[in-house]
Amino acid sequence: MDSTATSWITPPARPELIENLVSGVDRYNPNNVSILEDYLYHQIRNEEYDCLANLAILKLYQFNPELYNPDVVINILIKALTAAPSPDFNLCVALLDERPINAPLEEPDPLPALLPVLRNLHDHLFRCRFPAFWDIYRSDELEALRDNYTVEVVGFDNAVREVVVRAVKAAFTRISTARLGSYLALSGDDLSGYVAKLGWTIDSVTSVVDVPPNPDNQIEATVVQESIKLPQLAKVISHSALKA
Amino acid sequence: MSHQGVPLWAADADLDDDVELNLVIGNYGQNNFEDAPIQHPHLDEAAMIAIQQHMAQQAAFSQIPDVVKAFIVRFYQAVLENNLDEITVAYESGWNKYTEKFYARTEWPEAEIIAPLVNDDPIFLILYRELYYRHVYSRLQPNIDDRFHSYENSCELFNYLLNSDGPVKLELPEQWLWDIIDEFIYQYQVFCSWRSKVKNKTEDELVMLGEGGPVWSSYSVLNVLYSLMQKSKINEYIVAQREGKSPEEIAEIVGEYGQRPLYRMLGYFSIIGLLRVHVLLGDFTLALKVMENVELNQKSPFSRVTACHVTAYYYVGFCYIMLKRYPDAIRTFVTILNFIMRMRQYHTRSYQYDQISKTADRMYALFALCNALSPTRLDDNIANIAKERFSEQYAKISRGGQEALSAFEELFIYACPKFITANPPPYDDPSTISIVVNSASSADAPSGLDATQRHLALFLADVAAQLPVPTLRSFLKLYTSLDAKKLANFLDVDEEEMVQEMMAMKQASKSLSRVPGMENTGLLDGRWTTTSDLNFVIDENMVHIAESTVGRRYAGWFIKNTERAQKIFDDLKHMPLPGPPASLANTASQSSGGANPRAAASAIAASVSAPGGSVRETTDAQGQGQKTSAAPRKVAWGGVRA
Repeated sequence: MDSTATSWITPPARPELIENLVSGVDRYNPNNVSILEDYLYHQIRNEEYDCLANLAILKLYQFNPELYNPDVVINILIKALTAAPSPDFNLCVALLDERPINAPLEEPDPLPALLPVLRNLHDHLFRCRFPAFWDIYRSDELEALRDNYTVEVVGFDNAVREVVVRAVKAAFTRISTARLGSYLALSGDDLSGYVAKLGWTIDSVTSVVDVPPNPDNQIEATVVQESIKLPQLAKVISHSALKA
Repeated sequence: MSHQGVPLWAADADLDDDVELNLVIGNYGQNNFEDAPIQHPHLDEAAMIAIQQHMAQQAAFSQIPDVVKAFIVRFYQAVLENNLDEITVAYESGWNKYTEKFYARTEWPEAEIIAPLVNDDPIFLILYRELYYRHVYSRLQPNIDDRFHSYENSCELFNYLLNSDGPVKLELPEQWLWDIIDEFIYQYQVFCSWRSKVKNKTEDELVMLGEGGPVWSSYSVLNVLYSLMQKSKINEYIVAQREGKSPEEIAEIVGEYGQRPLYRMLGYFSIIGLLRVHVLLGDFTLALKVMENVELNQKSPFSRVTACHVTAYYYVGFCYIMLKRYPDAIRTFVTILNFIMRMRQYHTRSYQYDQISKTADRMYALFALCNALSPTRLDDNIANIAKERFSEQYAKISRGGQEALSAFEELFIYACPKFITANPPPYDDPSTISIVVNSASSADAPSGLDATQRHLALFLADVAAQLPVPTLRSFLKLYTSLDAKKLANFLDVDEEEMVQEMMAMKQASKSLSRVPGMENTGLLDGRWTTTSDLNFVIDENMVHIAESTVGRRYAGWFIKNTERAQKIFDDLKHMPLPGPPASLANTASQSSGGANPRAAASAIAASVSAPGGSVRETTDAQGQGQKTSAAPRKVAWGGVRA
């Protein structure tokens, strides 16, 4: 993960047209909603992600209920799901105002039924309950979600695995293959292939995975000493200078 | 009362430089505006009614106490002459004084009635109505006509400011300008929450809401704020300032509007207003994004209006909470709470003091929330006050479990902004609204709470994930390494579940945070940093723990006391020598005694607000003080050097 928020605020792959929409007042123009929606489907097909652009869609829906398209909202939430533990998913839900009950829709709105499901999935990812996440996600009840939505989101499973990798990398120096496999929902050759791709190594005797050192899994006890910065002393020094 | 089909500032297209304005925000959602239903009498009755009205007005006019009449005339004169000092006096003390005396429980006289006093001046009458409605909202219960008319009046005011032929010559105190923007958003917010409660609306109200069109619509409110920002080129101004451009260059950049203090301040206040509107609508990233160029510190000349300054910090801090950036939220609240504490001694009598201290109390509550989720030793003083004020909740939080969750909920509900729903219930569709009215009467929850409940639920989901942390922490603190199975036994939980909780805990101990050197980047930016003093890592089944401790801090204490000593030394040097004849000593000590506290007070005020200009004033004041005190006597220490 990046050390700053810069690429979250402005993903490098964001086209200029979208940048102008996201950063300017043109984001409020309902005529631009299709541009942003197209960009969402581009993200879905190309394993890209642009949270702020997707929030701009939800903002337009918030102000113009007639634009509301439940499929778009669900796709936005699915994309935000795999940004855990960042707050993206909650930021999206925060913009979903109550729908007026007479909202004119030709088909029944799938969102009210799916929203609790997605929130539950997000909760499991956020709380690092990865085995439970996979159980629920792959259950029969969620067949509709998989067949109608996540199947279209290229690399969804791998995006979830990246959430796992981020959490494991920070908390472990070594982890058993069984445990890692249950987090990643992988086993056997798939698992060793995935681990190899990460550049991690498996000890063939103990079948324990070595997680390479990174700033988060290197811990040491420190004593933090204060460091005095010049501006703190500005008043004292300038006072003496005045008298000199 | 005059009113127009489309708010003028939005409809205007014949001024060249306004075209872009309308393009950028447009009239979205305003196209189907219909005339607000004000009853026009039939023509044949018109004359009769006019006479009756005239008589009624005369009667009302004669009811107005003479001192109030005189006050209005003087107020009008001050506005006419752009006499800022006089306007400030009338605005800050006169209005409040006569409100207390005559209008504590009733409306001020209507604008039409006092119109003869002010030459029917349309601009003054708009300003008068601004105060009139604000008084209705704060002291009385606004009815639907008040709500609609206050909106129309705001539109007329902004229309006059934005779409006159060039910048208007009007000047108003900064405080008033802030109050205008603040009140505009406040009325929008109360209108939205009133509108979302479909119960107990009269037939007339339902009809008016159905035909209300853009009255208090989110688009029209955003339109005003963005227009003021763009007209004043406030963002360009802030950037140019930061880049150290010369006054001439800045004047060139900001153009004829941005050069005038009225527009510049309104532009800045509109940024803060937008921050607030976006938070009310639940868009926390956009809220921080509009603040992109604003440097949040006490040195900015914009921090002079304390109420605005406090508002900005409150909403920014709240955004950080919703972005789970607790360290940033804590820093934001600590900064402003310290500021409020320092200014308390100067502002207690200000009419806004109540409002500011209420906001401060809510920020202590928010601080308590953040501190529980991301413990810090940033400012023990603030932490102690928060602990004292919310001791009950603090105790519950430290006990953990379901009780803790309800304490978090209490604090959040108490301290969160008044969230609103962007869209009205379907008042424009009589058949559906009757369904809604009937279904609402059966359901207990008023729909106005929905937005708050939604944000609360999101916040609590995050809190719930962190509930196991304090217990885990207390065990981990006892060891440097520990078998995971043993730890699970201590906690009486499933080992695998506990390992997952520890991963979540590890994740929660990192946060995006603004770090030194980021002052010129937007408020959304930040660097991932570790926020916990307790660190651990799992090596297969063995947990290794490392704790960071903070060494004792001396610098602040020494710096504070050095500064104090310097000040005492200075004061001593400026004091007259003891011993001159009694009569002389009397006058001398009086004048110097009078001058010194004032100088000291203004020096503190200067360190609180902008340096630069006002620091120079302080030295002047000191110089004068010394001159007067030195004059009657021959000996005065150090007076020459100043």
